Amino acid sequence: MAKLNEKHNYEGTLVCVEGIDGSGKSTQLALLRDWLKSCGKDVIYTEWNSSPLISQTTKLAKKKNMLSPRTFSLLHAVDFADRLKQVIAPALKAGFIVLADRYAYTAFARDVARGVDPKWVRQVYDFAIKPDLTIYFDIDPKTSMERICFNRTPKFYEAGMDLKLSSDPFESYILFQSRVVKEYKKMLAEFDIVKLDAKDSIHKKQVEIRKMLTEILKTKGVEIEEI
Amino acid sequence: MKKFKHGYEGMLVVIEGTDGSGKSTQLELLKKSLQDKSYGVMVSEWKTSRLIADVIDDAKDRNLLNATTYSLLYAADFADRLENQIIPALKSGFIVLLDRYYYTALARDVVRGQNIEWVKNLYEYAPEPDLVFYLDMPVDVLLKRIIGTTGLDFYESGRDVGFSTDFYKSFEIYQNKCLEQYNNMKQEYGFISIDGTKSISAIHKIMNNEVQKILDSGILD
Repeated sequence: MAKLNEKHNYEGTLVCVEGIDGSGKSTQLALLRDWLKSCGKDVIYTEWNSSPLISQTTKLAKKKNMLSPRTFSLLHAVDFADRLKQVIAPALKAGFIVLADRYAYTAFARDVARGVDPKWVRQVYDFAIKPDLTIYFDIDPKTSMERICFNRTPKFYEAGMDLKLSSDPFESYILFQSRVVKEYKKMLAEFDIVKLDAKDSIHKKQVEIRKMLTEILKTKGVEIEEI
Repeated sequence: MKKFKHGYEGMLVVIEGTDGSGKSTQLELLKKSLQDKSYGVMVSEWKTSRLIADVIDDAKDRNLLNATTYSLLYAADFADRLENQIIPALKSGFIVLLDRYYYTALARDVVRGQNIEWVKNLYEYAPEPDLVFYLDMPVDVLLKRIIGTTGLDFYESGRDVGFSTDFYKSFEIYQNKCLEQYNNMKQEYGFISIDGTKSISAIHKIMNNEVQKILDSGILD
């Protein structure tokens, strides 16, 4: 079985947030980071498609609409592998709490929604470390679109325009992101992912997340005391 | 009507072998002789996608790659070329001549410690070639050729793997390990193995004959 289904043995703790754009996951992660820091914990934060090795190339290729689903998938895997080996794994070894805005599950959801074989992409990410806590923020595509596209048109890949589901970017966004959401929901049981309702208040979700993380840290012998 | 295994109109021919084994020379000769016979020929070389090749070179220059990102970047380069150049050409009935194919990745990535099944999965969607020529060269001859031409390169010598800090020694170990991987693949993938120390024209003749056999079947007519 792949590493994604096995508990890791690092001293640190890995927390990931998942969900489509506009689900509020980054807000929650930022709040969590500030809180953990104020409790004196060693925390690092890493986000999807941000490695110095490849992220600029991927962004440029996206702008030019140059990517096939498979190249899209592999380029994001390069980014992930780079951050995993250079940032995430070393930090976990050093006992950090690692907060990841999106993880391998983003690839599983998006790439499969683009028609890539689910088994193939899971195998590509076979080197990923299983998070201690993964939270999925559940939101319907329509609300997501209202939140992120209130003053702009959805971007080419974010709307899944490469799949030619519709020539209208707004309609395409809804169709494509519905597929992504469907893939996320299939993964909840497969990877022990906790689902939160994105429509709950920021405060309510944060209280819930802090509670879950405190429990997990406790099992690792780490107590949280607010300073 | 006869069809190729991969189902495309065109024909896929691969030349494999380690660095300095004479692949590009043979590719040029084969291309010329096929064009002379009025066949449409398309050539594609390893690590040349517009999108990713520069990233790989730059990352190598700055020593940014680990074994996993090394594998994945080459796989992305391959996917880009396959989908944007190779498959369209095959669909249009070209003879596609490739300088290296995913066998190169299998050899190099496994030598860098990757699990072979993982690497195979990265390339599992690639069409099976109609012919794979493998230029078999002993390491001592390779060493002389490379030192006499381009000189020893950091990655070609496998210096990133840490076999030895001595360039010569590292090259020897690394290329031997790659050769071992190629040897393992010969049978599994039906390589036509050619003694790379033969003369350029002798090797060309062998390749030309093999290609001609397929052309004589009328499959491209």
